Amino acid sequence: MAPVPGSGLAKGLAVTLRTMTKKTVTEQYPDVQPDLPPRTRGVIGLFEENCTVCMLCARECPDWCIYIDSHKETIPAATPGGRERSRNVLDRFAIDFSLCMYCGICIEVCPFDALFWSPEFEYAETDIRDLTHERDKLREWMWTVPAPPALDPGAEEPKELTTARRTAEKLTPHTEPQTTGPQATEPRPAKPQVTDAQATRPEVTEPHATEQARAAEQPTRPLGDSKQQTDQPRPDREGDA
Amino acid sequence: MNDVLDVTLRLLIVFVVFLAFPLVVGQTEHKVMAHMQGRLGPMYAGGFHGWAQLVADGVKFAQKEDVVPAGADRRIFQLAPAVALLPYLLVLVAIPIGPGEGAVGQAVDAGIFFVLAVMGVGVLGSLMAGWASANKFSLLGGLRTAAQLLAYELPMLLAAASVAMAAGTVSLPGILDAFEWWWLPWQIVGAIVFFVAGLAELQRPPFDMPVADSEIIFGAYTEYTGLRFALFLLAEYAGIVVLCGLTTVLFLGGWHGPWGADGLGWVWTLLKTAVLAFIVIWLRVTYPRLREDQLQKLSWTLLVPLALAQIALTGIVKVVIS
Amino acid sequence: MTLSATAGRLAAEVTTSAAAETHGFLSPTGVEISFVLVGLVTFGAALVTVTTRQLVHAALWLVVTLGGLAVEYLLLTAEFIAWVQVLIYVGSVVVLLLFGLMLTRAPIGRSPDADSGNRWAALTVAVVSAAALVWVVVDAFRTTWIDLDGPAAGATAVTGASLFQNWVLPFEALSVLLLAALVGAIVLSRKTTPGTTADPSTGKAPTAGAPAKPGPAKSRPAAEPESARARTGEVGPAEPEPAEARPAKAGTGEPRPTAPRTDEGGVR
Repeated sequence: MAPVPGSGLAKGLAVTLRTMTKKTVTEQYPDVQPDLPPRTRGVIGLFEENCTVCMLCARECPDWCIYIDSHKETIPAATPGGRERSRNVLDRFAIDFSLCMYCGICIEVCPFDALFWSPEFEYAETDIRDLTHERDKLREWMWTVPAPPALDPGAEEPKELTTARRTAEKLTPHTEPQTTGPQATEPRPAKPQVTDAQATRPEVTEPHATEQARAAEQPTRPLGDSKQQTDQPRPDREGDA
Repeated sequence: MNDVLDVTLRLLIVFVVFLAFPLVVGQTEHKVMAHMQGRLGPMYAGGFHGWAQLVADGVKFAQKEDVVPAGADRRIFQLAPAVALLPYLLVLVAIPIGPGEGAVGQAVDAGIFFVLAVMGVGVLGSLMAGWASANKFSLLGGLRTAAQLLAYELPMLLAAASVAMAAGTVSLPGILDAFEWWWLPWQIVGAIVFFVAGLAELQRPPFDMPVADSEIIFGAYTEYTGLRFALFLLAEYAGIVVLCGLTTVLFLGGWHGPWGADGLGWVWTLLKTAVLAFIVIWLRVTYPRLREDQLQKLSWTLLVPLALAQIALTGIVKVVIS
Repeated sequence: MTLSATAGRLAAEVTTSAAAETHGFLSPTGVEISFVLVGLVTFGAALVTVTTRQLVHAALWLVVTLGGLAVEYLLLTAEFIAWVQVLIYVGSVVVLLLFGLMLTRAPIGRSPDADSGNRWAALTVAVVSAAALVWVVVDAFRTTWIDLDGPAAGATAVTGASLFQNWVLPFEALSVLLLAALVGAIVLSRKTTPGTTADPSTGKAPTAGAPAKPGPAKSRPAAEPESARARTGEVGPAEPEPAEARPAKAGTGEPRPTAPRTDEGGVR
């Protein structure tokens, strides 16, 4: 097999010597931040303006690590004599990252694009209870969500864009359909998910905004009443109540 | 009084070398091994590329509690690190670094025998440690140490004897005085045998069965902590310095070099020693550990015959040229 | 010169340098004083070696004894002999001794059975042989003194010259003796016997490996013990092999008769 005895030994020496001259692969992490790829699963951000408290995420979560509290509010009829409408108002949205296994199912199932992956990963805590990120903190993570990476050249248009454009064309056939394109691919998703609909149907979204503002002003149900809530928040962390 | 001052100064220099060079080798091992594995190695201690890592290690070792196991033979357990370390200090005294009387700690008449004898004594430290720890892994390590020493002392001696035959003297400076460049190809087999056997005697990888961590934890040093453990480690690295220095002196011509013969001889010695130390590290990174039976087989069926063949060759050439 | 010799010389310079001419029992030089002191230490270590009840301690005290002897050689300028003493005795013989101790029994603490019943006889023999040696040496050299300040009388060159000129015959005789011992050791450690063809390098007794080979497929319960018996019968009774073969047979051959039977029972 081996033509020259000892050639294997020499080969081994050559391998180590060659490796020595090459660049090392060590990441100098605390000194140099890692260059993370797009769609890195660091932490989950909540874009709560989009959340309709449909509870899909909490139900799909394999770890049961999402806690959602909400209450119904009645909205007076927009037009006199009209029917009153009720809507869900989010009271609490918390993700326990000590339970989360970063499967991303909640983000996948969210029908309203309220959950996003953020590449931030430095949120270790000395107390495990602090790993339950409440609504405010989850909302803060949204600012760290990067723009989605550009599509491959020649890639199919995303489904969402196609449907959005179709809707837009149906509703306002006289406006030029090209405007949706650049708006939809606006880099920061902090706002854009709403803009898609907002831009095309401003008359629909406007009441929503006022409702949300009003809901935020109104005192909501105190935390801890819900039967489904298993993790009682600590008294000193009720800031999001 | 001048005599006393001279002796003191020499011993002091040897002592400083004894303390400093093993640290340099150790730090080099840290970095070279890391880069050979695609890593960076220590980067923080001391600021610049972790140059003070071993100093930090030493401080850590000094702070640790010195534990003696309850069932151990207390006195021998505590004595063992000194027995392991001191011989290398003694050997260092006899290694000439440059030409002339001034460049050696103490010119020993029977230099080869002195260094080999004293190096053999160092292994007693491991044996004592292995036995006195009252630990089966330590005992196994001690046994392996003893078996390894018995197997590799012979080829080492034979290879050294070949050089002594070639030079017609057993004094280390005498061998260097007699050295010619063509000894290098002439004695190359002996050099390899000597170096490999020396590696085995130092229990360096790939001959580190006595401390094979995956089998017997850390062999004879399993129960040691703190400063005594550090002394054993220091002994290992001092052993590398001594072995490389000896191989340089015996086989590579020591202070002889293509140029700079006067005044710069010590640079050649240090350079050759450093290259050999690098090879020691290189071998450690490259090769996996031998099995215990492979180790014995390598010695008895390969190194000893090679060393004997080298002696025969040396004798023939010696007779022909004289 | 070595360090200890240098130290001795330094001490000697303080008192007197002319040891050769003005020597005498009552005007000791530094070298003589250290010689006596080291001798006492060596003697004490030797005593402890034979009296201690801790086996490994005895071996380690032996190291001290032999090292002390080496220092004595050094003080007598016999440098070569000194280092060979360290190399052979301390470095190899004691290591071999320790190896043997550790391999067999080396308890920490005293071993009460380390004492022999005939210690008085041993003491007598020791004293008599020591007396004989001392008498021979004293009678041979009487008042001959080694000149420590001249050219070293025990240097390597001098030793080599006298060894290969004056003492060639004893040297060669010793070599032949060692060779005979070596050959004898090899012969004793070889396990091959006329009847079997075992690879000596594996160190395995052939009978221990052979019964394992037939396997359960072809082995008939009745035939197996018979063949094993036949194989052990082949080997001469004086050979060391049967001792190893019998337990091997007991280990591998014994369960086999039962195993196929259960197998057959399962088939039927």
